[in-house]
Amino acid sequence: MDVFGSFALLLAFLCAGYAFVGGIAAILTRHPLLIKSARQAGIATCALIFLATGSLIYLFFSDSYWVSYVVAHSNRDLSTFYKVAALWSGQEGSLLFWSFLLAIYVFSVLLVYRNKNGELMPYVGVVLAGVQIFFLTLNNFVASPFKVLASPGANGALEIFTRADGNGLNPLLQYPEMVIHPPNLYSGYTGFTIPFAFALGALLARYPGEKWIHLTRKWTMIAWCFQTAGILLGAHWAYAVLGWGGYWGWDPVENASLLPWLTGTAFLHSVMMQEKRGMMKVWNVWLVFSTFMLCILGTLLTRSGVVSSVHAFAQSSIGNYFVGFLVLVLAVCFGAYVKNRDYLKSENQLDSMVSRESSFLFNNLILLVSCIAVLSGTLFPVFSEWFSGSRISVGAPFFNKVNIPIGLLLLFLTGVGPLLAWRKTSTESLKRNFGWPLIAGLLAGIVVFALGVREFFSLVCLMLCVFVTTTIGMEFFRGARVIRSRSGASLFASAVELTMRNTRRYGGYIVHMGMVLIFVGLAGAAFNKDVQNDMQPGSTMQIGGYKLLLQGFDTKPEKNYTSERMIVEVWRDNKPLMMLYPERRFFQTNEQSGTMVAIYSTLREDLYVVYAGQNPETQAPVIHAFLNPLVKWIWLGGLVVVLGTLVTLLPNRRAVLVLAGAPERAAGQQPQGLAPSVALREGHD
Amino acid sequence: MTKRQAAAFSLVIALSAFSGALLASRAQAQQADRAKQIGGKFMCMCGCNQVLTQCNHVGCTTSASMLKELDGWVARGDSETVITSAFVQEFGTKVYAEPPKSGLSLVAWSLPSVYLLLGTLLVIFVIWRWRMRAMVPSATVGGAPGISAQDLESARRRVAQETED
Repeated sequence: MDVFGSFALLLAFLCAGYAFVGGIAAILTRHPLLIKSARQAGIATCALIFLATGSLIYLFFSDSYWVSYVVAHSNRDLSTFYKVAALWSGQEGSLLFWSFLLAIYVFSVLLVYRNKNGELMPYVGVVLAGVQIFFLTLNNFVASPFKVLASPGANGALEIFTRADGNGLNPLLQYPEMVIHPPNLYSGYTGFTIPFAFALGALLARYPGEKWIHLTRKWTMIAWCFQTAGILLGAHWAYAVLGWGGYWGWDPVENASLLPWLTGTAFLHSVMMQEKRGMMKVWNVWLVFSTFMLCILGTLLTRSGVVSSVHAFAQSSIGNYFVGFLVLVLAVCFGAYVKNRDYLKSENQLDSMVSRESSFLFNNLILLVSCIAVLSGTLFPVFSEWFSGSRISVGAPFFNKVNIPIGLLLLFLTGVGPLLAWRKTSTESLKRNFGWPLIAGLLAGIVVFALGVREFFSLVCLMLCVFVTTTIGMEFFRGARVIRSRSGASLFASAVELTMRNTRRYGGYIVHMGMVLIFVGLAGAAFNKDVQNDMQPGSTMQIGGYKLLLQGFDTKPEKNYTSERMIVEVWRDNKPLMMLYPERRFFQTNEQSGTMVAIYSTLREDLYVVYAGQNPETQAPVIHAFLNPLVKWIWLGGLVVVLGTLVTLLPNRRAVLVLAGAPERAAGQQPQGLAPSVALREGHD
Repeated sequence: MTKRQAAAFSLVIALSAFSGALLASRAQAQQADRAKQIGGKFMCMCGCNQVLTQCNHVGCTTSASMLKELDGWVARGDSETVITSAFVQEFGTKVYAEPPKSGLSLVAWSLPSVYLLLGTLLVIFVIWRWRMRAMVPSATVGGAPGISAQDLESARRRVAQETED
């Protein structure tokens, strides 16, 4: 099967080469057969990558310990669940997995648009094939996952040998979220290739800007949704597994995933300027180019060892290939832009500073400043080493200080932007839209201050959260009230109907609401507490309103590891509340160990208990307990963001469906006021 | 010594011992707080890329020994500057959790503000240009230098035709 996999990969490389060269020839000659054959070569490339990936998975399941990658990342006792995750746990497999996910996107695009966009698709196909060629080059010639174990035999020739068992999977990866976090994140990274291919293809084909925007909106939303989910799942994994009490450490690899998310978010907002007003065409094209390049840069940071990180793969020379590819992509993008930039000129103008357009500009500014600040902070250690000879670390305190004010500005714009009208917002409209939200925000500030919150940024954050929530709530309420007055349905049903009539606008509000929930959770971080004590069975520890009683500990051998488990009884208000079992797991095969944190999570706070090992002097178990307020809101917010994104992907329901259900209305009678209102709403997002 | 005197003496001793213990535990708590606050300014040197006081890797001996050193210096009453110099001497500048606000590191601190300032100026300039454009007669708006309005329109028609769903 390893030979089959290698052969499939090699054939995929050749097919991608044909799709690329044949595609260019098709563009030059416009010959229908060439166009068709290039597209089919693209489809064949994807099919072959699927086969190669299937082969590697099969090698894991069949315990093929003559394949070097399988030996390094699996063992016989590893559960089936984690054998799937082993696919992306190392450099070679994760690169194949990248190709696999990219192939799913490419396959879908080539299939969905097989009879559409005849002039544009060959350009898109060539760009996609170009990206695939790069990754297939790595899969075939730089980091093949199908290398076998071999040693010189008696006659000096290399002989394949088989190991009895593998080294096992890294313990940190043996956690359920590790089976879903990387696929989500990689789907985000690879997904941004599609808007990139359409943007570059459209620019090369001299398509005026709007069309590629229209074609790629859903693809961009899908990629963004995966990226968001991937980042949040990664944060949850860090929280639940690493045992340091936090969810975001501003590690270079975490930052690498955030960078394209920030530019992608900026793009999703500024794209509306182009759709509605024909503005910011150059900006949008470069935002998509930058997002794709930041995805590649993120991969470079993870794999090259340029910056140190616990998440990074082993240091290797593979980074040079990524640098080369990045330079090439930049050169192609810049060349295409210089050559065809005349087709990207904006047509409209701005009527007022107080308008939706301005708010989008500032939204983009804030997102981009955040992106560049994170990027320069991440790379500063490298630059400082170049310039001064000594590496200066840039850790979480720096990123927090820089990004918290930026995040709050963004939160403020989240509330303000959607309520400003296109072109110009009147003073009357400003009063109507912002009066109540401002009052609600200020009242919230007073209440929170009275409750004892004195931390400035948390106070401002919570005020802004209430401000934004009120603006969103008012938008839903106003729209739903109109529908309710016509249909007689409940306010909730009317709000659902309203959302389904303009999924993009109201789905966007749901996404914003999710972000508000995430910010509420982040605001709680200022009030984290922790206590660490040596404990003996029967001893207690107090943290906040909780008392932890160590009842004892046990050791339990499992199939793949041995668990050392603390039995902790949690008391609150002098009543027993629940049992927690923080544990350490010792993995025999690779002689590594990992923590399993025990968390009691409520909307108010998380009681987070870690068994931090034994005190080497007293041999007493060390329990590290954290009280982290509002963390659950972050995960709930993530769910709401994903839900909102899914809503934006749904097609709009026609207003007539509701009108049909309106009571006591004569057939053919046009309901007064509704149609104009709907038209206004739909043109307003 | 009368019984009463002995009782008073014992009470004084007990009170002194109690206040001593109280003061000692308070001083200890203050020391722990100070160590935690200072420790938050350094990275753990085990390669985990985490702040020293937050490194909780199972079996991380580096953070344990660094924290022990830190506790010793804090107990001795060393100033933050002295502790920082000691850590930098031992591990180099990579021990900083955030760049110091001096020398080359000042660049890291000032860059975000510079980005924000330049970006804001750029946005204001763009808005100003767009507003200026609003004042130009509309006939000249559609065409951009290098491409005529007719060419743009024909390209748009071509796209509409080719991308008809």
